Amino acid sequence: MRALAIAGVNVRRMLRDRSNVFFVFVFPMLLILVLGVSFGRGFEPRIGVVAADPGALGRDLVRTLEEMPDVDVARYDSVDDLRTSVERGQLEAGVVVPEGYDGAIRAGRDAEVRYLARQGELGLQLSRTVRSAVAEQGQRLRAARLFVAERAGSLDEGLARADVAAEALEPVEVVTTTVGEAIFPTSLGRFDLGASSTLLLFIFLTSMTSAVALIETRRLGLSRRMLSTPTSAGTIVAGEALGRLGIAMVQGLFIMLGSLILFGVDWGEPLGSAALLVSFALVGAGAGMFLGSLLRTEQQAIGLGILLGLGLGALGGCMVPMEFFSPTMRTVAHFTPHAWALDGYAELVRRDGTIVDVLPYVGILLAYAAVLLGLASWRLRRAITG
Amino acid sequence: MTTPVLDCRDLRKSFDDLVAVNGVGFSVAPGETYGLLGPNGAGKTTTISMIAGLLERDDGEVLVEGRPLTTTSVSAKSAIGYVPQEIAIYPDLTGRENLRFFARLYGMSGDDLTRRMDEVLGIVGLADRADDPTKEYSGGMRRRLNIGIGLLHRPTLLILDEPTVGVDPQSRNAILESVDQLSAEGMAVLYTTHYMEEAERLCDRVGIIDLGELKAEGTRRELVSMVGERDEVLLALAGDVEAAASACRALPAVHDVSTREEHMELVVDEARKALPAILEAISYAGSAVRSVEVTEPDLEAVFLHLTGKALRD
Amino acid sequence: MRAALLIAAKDLRQRLRDRSAIMVAVVVPLGLAFVFNATLGGISTEGVAFRYGVVDEDRSEISAVFVDEVLPAVEEGGAIRVRSVPSDAEGRRSVEAGDLDALLVVPAGFGAAVEGSGAAEIRVVGDVDEPTAAQVARSIASTFVADLNAVRVAVATVADPHATDPAELDALVERAAAVATPVDVVDVTATTKELDVTTYYAAGMAVFFLFFTVQFGVASLLDERKDGTLSRLLAAPIGRSAILGGKLLTSFVIGTLSMATLIVATSLLLGADWGDGIGVALLVLSGVLAATGIMSIVATLAKTSEQAGNWQSIIAVVLGMLGGVFFPISQAPGFLPTLSLVTPQAWFLRGLSDMAGDTGWTVVLPAVLAMLVFAAVTGAIAAVRLDRMARL
Repeated sequence: MRALAIAGVNVRRMLRDRSNVFFVFVFPMLLILVLGVSFGRGFEPRIGVVAADPGALGRDLVRTLEEMPDVDVARYDSVDDLRTSVERGQLEAGVVVPEGYDGAIRAGRDAEVRYLARQGELGLQLSRTVRSAVAEQGQRLRAARLFVAERAGSLDEGLARADVAAEALEPVEVVTTTVGEAIFPTSLGRFDLGASSTLLLFIFLTSMTSAVALIETRRLGLSRRMLSTPTSAGTIVAGEALGRLGIAMVQGLFIMLGSLILFGVDWGEPLGSAALLVSFALVGAGAGMFLGSLLRTEQQAIGLGILLGLGLGALGGCMVPMEFFSPTMRTVAHFTPHAWALDGYAELVRRDGTIVDVLPYVGILLAYAAVLLGLASWRLRRAITG
Repeated sequence: MTTPVLDCRDLRKSFDDLVAVNGVGFSVAPGETYGLLGPNGAGKTTTISMIAGLLERDDGEVLVEGRPLTTTSVSAKSAIGYVPQEIAIYPDLTGRENLRFFARLYGMSGDDLTRRMDEVLGIVGLADRADDPTKEYSGGMRRRLNIGIGLLHRPTLLILDEPTVGVDPQSRNAILESVDQLSAEGMAVLYTTHYMEEAERLCDRVGIIDLGELKAEGTRRELVSMVGERDEVLLALAGDVEAAASACRALPAVHDVSTREEHMELVVDEARKALPAILEAISYAGSAVRSVEVTEPDLEAVFLHLTGKALRD
Repeated sequence: MRAALLIAAKDLRQRLRDRSAIMVAVVVPLGLAFVFNATLGGISTEGVAFRYGVVDEDRSEISAVFVDEVLPAVEEGGAIRVRSVPSDAEGRRSVEAGDLDALLVVPAGFGAAVEGSGAAEIRVVGDVDEPTAAQVARSIASTFVADLNAVRVAVATVADPHATDPAELDALVERAAAVATPVDVVDVTATTKELDVTTYYAAGMAVFFLFFTVQFGVASLLDERKDGTLSRLLAAPIGRSAILGGKLLTSFVIGTLSMATLIVATSLLLGADWGDGIGVALLVLSGVLAATGIMSIVATLAKTSEQAGNWQSIIAVVLGMLGGVFFPISQAPGFLPTLSLVTPQAWFLRGLSDMAGDTGWTVVLPAVLAMLVFAAVTGAIAAVRLDRMARL
């Protein structure tokens, strides 16, 4: 079939250009890797701790803090480093157990713990966490102090007795349960979230910038040459569309299989996954062709292609998950095909959906594709046949 | 003796193993048109590039108006106007902008610059298209601008590197006429080509170059006689051919005579000078001359003689 | 020098006519900054107040302390809002629906158990998607519970197991309650050296595309060779350093102009806050120099202008990603933030971030110095290689 021949030429031309190899194949994988390493493990507030006092009481406080769930405690050696990290956002808060902590308590004085945070809600909220660790340790200390006051023993004796007494008591506790269905389930792999958004972003971006190749084909008079052979304009257009689809599929399969093998990314049920890929690839193909049929110079295509590719991707939730958008922006996002495709992948990966569950999304994507390809074909025919 | 406009000696240049130029030296007098004639690959462009200071020399010396010129000594370059073989103009700038930029690089400014720019635009016939981007020019127009840029700063020596390659006959003629004109106005010209006709038409002296070496140089006459080529005179006669032949054989300038029916072929030195004597001898022998054809040996023949190869393949 | 200026002026004139230069230098980065601002601009890096509900099923004196004293005091401290909820079930529904971030429940019998030394518990019901809110709610409850436990343990530690006089016991309890925790938590507010989301992405896009913009200077050397005009430049009485100087000057001017345009545009149109003018100027100038140096080296590695463009794009993208222009890599865990300092982009963003705390422009000097070092090293290497490139 002649259309396939035209498609084949397109794919071959793309693969032969070595810089393409980087942008089409290598860079998306790099991005998935970096995103997964940077942000894959979800957000736990990070609290840095400087334990300047070597005493047992200070160490005990730090251990209490470290054992608190849902916070990530990191040890720092210098207060200046701690402060810098807090200021720059590498830590959400910092705690300094100063020198002389043990000494002061043992001498019967009050000790101080400094809590560092940036202005804002989160800083205030996390101070509650630190205060509760202090209060927890306070249980032993208050008992020991009372012992010292009433029985005139040493603090250490008091602490020992307090521990014994605590063992024998029925504790007052706080019990936590959770409700609701997790948007990001814990079973979600580290690289999974970044993988689907990167896949979609790059398929679309590559399709957009491939408009350059189409313009080049027209400019070099190749389209006309093709037309002078017994090939109809319709076949040429179909060939170009198939070519773009082919490129998108090669890229998509590479990213999916590559990330699966290298990073263990879960793409959900294969059939549903493939259906989403094909339909989104068609959308990309249509968009790229439409752009290539509208513009006249390669320079325009590159600039506009990058702008639209990255812009629509960002709007559609490929850079920062839609879950972080405001409700209005989430609605706006769904004007882009990316948002629908991402919803489809979320269904497959996070909620163990099957092809049946993603059919609505596939349908919407195919509708986008039909419109874009239709417009592109119409314009392209006019452009080729002059 | 006046200082030559250009004096180059013992120029050498090698690229890896290939010796491109091997000891080429010549000089160009003020107002003289000197042609460097040789086939493709002879080393003409390499020689020119060294002379114009574009290419580092391996060895040799270049003096322009007595001043040394190297890739780094820049003042001597002001005396040279360079017209490269490939069109060297900025496609997205207009003709005028191209001219202004290069004029300023050569130190021109103000009213002088504006006047000279208009002058050059007139000379190359681009005054009405000066403000269009050069990418819209036709091939011939671009070539003319290419030459115009070389003329801008009123150089003493204009270097043209194969300016007519790939050019249609009409434009080529226009270019040759311009060079003739410039030469008549007193500009020294260094002209490289592999077209013998151009060398013969334009140049006062010609240097024949092949495989990086200057094989011979001199005026056309000198070169031709250097290799012992003589003119041929072909006459169609009415009357006694044999008598005419004997009469001509007696003339000192005539070296050989052969006859064929009503035609007589003579090999002579400097046919133009000898012709009156020949015609007189023939008429004296009682024959009438119906037609005369003088064939002077050309540089192509000289080249063949010197190198054993054709000038053009 | 004069010749270098002439060549730079000519290059700039050519570039201004070239629409792709304007696209890459201004239009695309500005467009992307707009998009990022639209999608993410509302997100505050400092978080939002947590909304808690509380259900008092116990209605004892002790639960009243928690609900009417402890929680309002916490609310006054800020960042937390508490409201009463009629029942556990309704509270859970609110949490599931997202109207509350967490629910605190004091179950019936709590007060009695506490006084009677039995086991007691306060329940926290959290939203699975708001772990920090749940964690903080738990902390608040834990602090209260620790107070109760402290009195119990203190009394148990000191009390005579054989003493039965209730009045004595009560007095002991009171004395135990009077012993305060011997540790004060002192709040210290740290400066915020973080850019707000809008400014972050405006700066990120600007510095990312800077590395594409400066290419136009040095890569044009390859274009001149292809177009044949390099030989004219070499034939002119100007010297090779003038040619190179002109090209580098072009990169510098284009880079600086485009950055300046983006800074003004994003400030006016998006409300980006770049900070103190002097600091920004220093960062921009040193950044442009670093970018010019790096991209020049890359250009000298290529043989054609197209090849140079490809290599430059790859380097610009990799460095940009590592430098944090797409996402704040400086806040990632592990070694990534340190690794990112290999790129001038990361230093540029760090310089701006450090200034965000209104600490005056001198705080950018380390970043400026780092970028100047980049510029010096890459510039020296590039100069040598460029000199070789500016020959026939």
